[in-house]
Amino acid sequence: MSSLYERLGGENAVNAAVELFYRKVLADGRIARFFDGVDMDDQIAKQKSFLTMAFGGPNRYTGLDMRNAHKKLVAKGLNDSHVDAVIENLNSTLRTLGVPEKEVKEVAALADSVRADVLGR
Amino acid sequence: MTPLLTYMDRPVEIAPGETVLEALLRAGIDAPSSCRTGNCQTCLRRAVQGTPPAESQNGLTEAQKAMGYFLPCICRPSSPLNVAPPDDAGARLPATVRSVEALAQDVVRLRIETEAFPYRPGQFLKLIASDGLERHYSIASHPEEDPFLEMHIRLHPGGRMSRHVMEIAKGHRLHVAGPLGTCFYEGVDKDQPLALIGAGTGLAPLYGVLRDALRQGHRGPIRLYHGARERKGLYLREELEALARARDNFDYAPASLDTGGDLAALALEAETQRASRTAYFLCGGENLVKRLKRDLFMSGASMKAIRSDVFSPASL
Repeated sequence: MSSLYERLGGENAVNAAVELFYRKVLADGRIARFFDGVDMDDQIAKQKSFLTMAFGGPNRYTGLDMRNAHKKLVAKGLNDSHVDAVIENLNSTLRTLGVPEKEVKEVAALADSVRADVLGR
Repeated sequence: MTPLLTYMDRPVEIAPGETVLEALLRAGIDAPSSCRTGNCQTCLRRAVQGTPPAESQNGLTEAQKAMGYFLPCICRPSSPLNVAPPDDAGARLPATVRSVEALAQDVVRLRIETEAFPYRPGQFLKLIASDGLERHYSIASHPEEDPFLEMHIRLHPGGRMSRHVMEIAKGHRLHVAGPLGTCFYEGVDKDQPLALIGAGTGLAPLYGVLRDALRQGHRGPIRLYHGARERKGLYLREELEALARARDNFDYAPASLDTGGDLAALALEAETQRASRTAYFLCGGENLVKRLKRDLFMSGASMKAIRSDVFSPASL
């Protein structure tokens, strides 16, 4: 059986999803403030990196990078509800793109697997 | 024999199958990285000599590719590369002042001559007046049309470079380095709408891009929005109005605050509906560029279709 990343369509699927996902995140009043002042070009590359990981694609994910990247945000109040909001936006992005529910759940589970690192626990 | 990898002209040993990032780190060179799979672009570097393998430029803009930018974490070179940090301006070259003229009360046009300085209109250069006095300026001239480099310099009261520029005249010698920047006409479809939005001397790179687009036969509609605090700060106005009358596909939309004009509001109102099809060039202060970038992206513009240069005031 092919991998999740292959079933989703690989890098093309990441490219199709990344801007849609980033727009949803920026439009979400629950989490938008954490993106205030960030460089959008840098951020879209980081979102692509995150989606590649969540899609089961090639990555050298280290919890340390994720911890360091979110340290300042945790200090600003980042908590479980915000991670939930991000995963919700990810789910709705995939549904907009017509991804079947089975794969939507697999992606959500992979995204959820970094929760502890993101929240510095 | 040329070594396969050099960093700022220093030879760096690279083993077969090794990436440029691994080789740089092994040589003790400071090279930031994060994902190490070619996505996050944290490790971005530039090949100042040599051509990076195409796969190491995956995901970069056409302008970045044209400038030799690549991702060291996924780069296994097969031919010699001389690598530099992304913002390295390179060697300084001597230049001579050709003219200094007022364009507006607080803007001067500086034209200088130098030998062999290949650039794309809209890029910027480092102008070096003396030791410790250097600033970045966008290039408004066109390499195939002008035998000089043109910059538009905003005069800041008390600014050291401003004072210096007011004192120099034809024949004065200084230095330049560069060019840098990816705000130029590359990766634009000739039939797509093109919108150039700039405030103050943000007009300089846009003026260069405009001329380049027209010269390259851009067929889609081109709109140039220029903002200034005062109406008399809308320099090159007559020339741009004349160009708009002469060209079917070019419109010029000036906005000055003293007459109630708001550049961002004017541009966004007109652009929101067509944002997803348009190529954008944004040049001006940080707040303006950030606001336009965000609003255009949220209206459907792709990040890759938005090129921007932020003009930050130099410390005096």
